[in-house]
Amino acid sequence: MNDLIMALIAPALIIFACLIARSISILTKLATGLILCHLLVMIKILMPLAIGNTTFLTLLPGFAIDRMSALFLLLTALIASASFAHAQVFFKQEETSGHGLQTAYVRQYYILATLFVVAMMAVYASDNLGFLWISIEATTLLSAGLVYFHRTKNALEATWKYFIICSVGIAFALLGTIFIFASSQHDQQIGSLSCFELVKLAPNLDLGSFKIGFIFCFLGYGTKAGIFPLHSWLPDAHSEAPAPASALLSGSLLNCALFAIWRIYQIAQATGRCQFIQDVTIWAGAVTVVAAALFLVRQYGIKRLWAYSSIENVGLMLVAIGLNSPFLFFLQAINHSLAKVSLFLISGNIIQSTGTKYLKDIRGVFRFAPVWGIVLALSALAVAGVPPFGSFVSEWMILTENFNLKYIIPAILIIFGLTLTFIAVCLHIGPLLLGTPKSTSKIFRPIASSVVPVTLLIGSLILGLTVGYEGLIKVVR
Amino acid sequence: MTPLEFLSIAAAVFAILMCGTGLLRFNLFLYSLQTFSIALATIAQSQQAKEPELYFVAIAIIVVKALAVPYFLSWISNRIDARSDPGILIPIPITMHAAIVLLGISYPLAKSLPHILWLSDSTVGATVAISLLFTGTLFMLTRRNALSQIIGFLTLENGIYLVAVTCTRGMPFIFEMGSLLDVLVAVMIAGLFVFRIKKSFEHIDVTQLDGLKES
Repeated sequence: MNDLIMALIAPALIIFACLIARSISILTKLATGLILCHLLVMIKILMPLAIGNTTFLTLLPGFAIDRMSALFLLLTALIASASFAHAQVFFKQEETSGHGLQTAYVRQYYILATLFVVAMMAVYASDNLGFLWISIEATTLLSAGLVYFHRTKNALEATWKYFIICSVGIAFALLGTIFIFASSQHDQQIGSLSCFELVKLAPNLDLGSFKIGFIFCFLGYGTKAGIFPLHSWLPDAHSEAPAPASALLSGSLLNCALFAIWRIYQIAQATGRCQFIQDVTIWAGAVTVVAAALFLVRQYGIKRLWAYSSIENVGLMLVAIGLNSPFLFFLQAINHSLAKVSLFLISGNIIQSTGTKYLKDIRGVFRFAPVWGIVLALSALAVAGVPPFGSFVSEWMILTENFNLKYIIPAILIIFGLTLTFIAVCLHIGPLLLGTPKSTSKIFRPIASSVVPVTLLIGSLILGLTVGYEGLIKVVR
Repeated sequence: MTPLEFLSIAAAVFAILMCGTGLLRFNLFLYSLQTFSIALATIAQSQQAKEPELYFVAIAIIVVKALAVPYFLSWISNRIDARSDPGILIPIPITMHAAIVLLGISYPLAKSLPHILWLSDSTVGATVAISLLFTGTLFMLTRRNALSQIIGFLTLENGIYLVAVTCTRGMPFIFEMGSLLDVLVAVMIAGLFVFRIKKSFEHIDVTQLDGLKES
């Protein structure tokens, strides 16, 4: 209970600060400071769980944290801090470049973003499938306002699509949740929605209704995660949102939806009779990887490029879930989040300074902003899975695990998708980095605007070197 | 015919009639009647299953989904002067016939639901629930107006709720309330966005929102 209050103090203070702060610069500074405090508090509460000293922490009835949720909570807190810290630079630049930034919009942005982060944390902390559903629906409701930040026609269109498609998707997840509940009432039992109890009850579940429930939940939460062919809203929403919000959407919201699928997948595994569900999950993941790679080839917007790359990573994480490997799932999630958030933030800088988000209009980033150019190039390589960055290790492990479990064709599909992505990203990014810049493009605050992306990139590098090294030793042995 | 059967069939009929008209206010009125029947069906169920907390759920549904939401949406349609929806893909009368056919298809689907249906008369309830899912989806697919999309979504949501009532022995109360609150907030936000769409685009035809199309 104390832990819960401690974890909610900082978000509450940020909202309070939004209501009282007079100017944008004070507000952004306060929010950054508070979210960093929040990160420290979360580390203090969750570290024993994350390293495995404690196994379980109950917060409220229906809310409990195990090791996996602790790890994802830490990741969310980290991504939230990165996004908020960079938002300070982002809004400052937006203000000075004379886009007519209104204090009210920024205030609204921070309130919604904070509540959005809290809703995402509730997703990880809920032990009850019902609360899980409510939290995921809440993330949709709260993040719609973030996508609409720029108040343009395109932003409105993206928001509407996001809102309607995800709401309908999540409604189907509700239907699935109901079927799972019904399956637990088999043989006159009272029934339960608690994940931990359902895992225990798993052999007694009514398999027919459970399968229907799983499929609906998979489709519903899959819409939110952007599984092909349910991804249509994702590139629009991620590219129209302001950079810090895109970072939040891509770096932590996708993980949330996948985490929900993982929870239900755990129950499916515990029934012990669900080969079908494993096949569906792995195949859906592999197809998503290939489809996203094909879409990547023809893209016109820089942020749309990264949005499709996110879809590809969602496919990989789905495969990791299907392989029943929580470790790989988390590893891929953290590697993707670190590199992708860095990419979205640095792309946001470039878009702000060049005034366009079309790939064909941005040229010569190396020339006018060498720091950003280097960070962009390295982050893009990290996302594409080039060693020594972390993504390489996790993708490698996912592939070997696929071959171990005899999922040969999905593995080949994934290899094809990853190769294509690498080529497509290089082809799109090359001309953007080289060439002659337009006279209007100018770097702003080179250090402040690159601190957060560089930190995240170093994180990805460290992960690649440490985990990769351990993996290498394992392979050698 | 038990009261539960009668009321759920009434809900299905109202939903089908809703597919047969393009007038937004009439759509909303029929949606309201449909929700009202479902709330009454919940009360019938609560008497049969002796689950008194379903009374509260029913009252909350009547207040929120059958009265407040339609009133809010018709207020919006007045404000932005959107009175009717010409439909898209297939003509409106044919949509209604398609909805009737889908009701027919729902029956074998409900029969084949694997769960051991615990009350003898829940097949009819499940049939109506599935048909509401179909009708809501059909409505969303065949209308172009943003408000119609919301109405279709709400019909779909009603279907999901009816699945919960007929196929389970009482969903947890707090969950019912939480999902109801979510629907209410979602409708409020969607309503605000409809205002914005009208203001920016000067129409609320969602099929014309294609500025972000690729290539």
